[in-house]
Amino acid sequence: MPTEINKALKGKEFPPFVVTVERGQMKAFARAIGDLNPNYLDDAVGQASEWGDVIAPPTFMTTFRADGETGALLRELGTDISRVLHGEQEFEMYRPIRPGETFTCRSRITDVYEKTGRTGPMAFVARETAVTDRAGEIVAVIRHITVIRL
Amino acid sequence: MKYAKVYFDDVKVGDALPPLTKGPIQQIQLTRYAGASGDFNPIHQDDEFAKAAGMGGVFAHGMLSMGFVAQSVTDWAGAGTVRKVGVRFAGLVRLKDTVTCKGRVVGATRKDGAGLVDLELWAENQRGEKVVTGKATVALPTRG
Repeated sequence: MPTEINKALKGKEFPPFVVTVERGQMKAFARAIGDLNPNYLDDAVGQASEWGDVIAPPTFMTTFRADGETGALLRELGTDISRVLHGEQEFEMYRPIRPGETFTCRSRITDVYEKTGRTGPMAFVARETAVTDRAGEIVAVIRHITVIRL
Repeated sequence: MKYAKVYFDDVKVGDALPPLTKGPIQQIQLTRYAGASGDFNPIHQDDEFAKAAGMGGVFAHGMLSMGFVAQSVTDWAGAGTVRKVGVRFAGLVRLKDTVTCKGRVVGATRKDGAGLVDLELWAENQRGEKVVTGKATVALPTRG
């Protein structure tokens, strides 16, 4: 019995959430990828750089999530974590980010649609998150497509 | 040389990025990535859960592979140069797989004093099957 996905969630906006970048977490993220770039890991190199500190690897903003949001969204969609695959991901970045910075993230669902692939029927949920700094300047736009096996 | 500074003026359409091979993927790396990223989906940790979900066993976080692809870009172009990076996850990466990230320059334009370079990117497993396809734009310094 295929899952019925809740398409009415298209356009849904999530409550904004705030994240502060922690130096240790940022470095642990780079090390977990095995990316030992000194601009991510060496404080002395960071201080001497044009940014004045270490910066985050390009995909670090994947850690920007609101507590419990994924589980709640999957329930609202009518599915669970075992049915989910990551389809696509994009980061559009206007500047590098540094430890200690605080950002506000505003997410919304931009599309919900179904397609049949070679492994059967699937639903696609597209989400977009705008990341702004304390001055209200846009820092990044994150686009994410979740695939749900129906 | 790794982390050598690349100038926009020295980049040509068609240039290949130095390939970056990562892995073989081990469970401990997926566990470490879960902790560092906050993505604790058991499908990447628990073989029984992944089999019961119909996935045939654990597989790597897509975002780990994207991290590899982004590293292949910044190893070449430098940290802090990426303006945009986007990928599609085309195939699953399994334990013991190696992931080789490749890319080439598909565009180069000057805009507001910066040199913007467009890249086509992909990653292959040890059988040459594409597991990630994508693109990126990096901003490189110009010689003047």
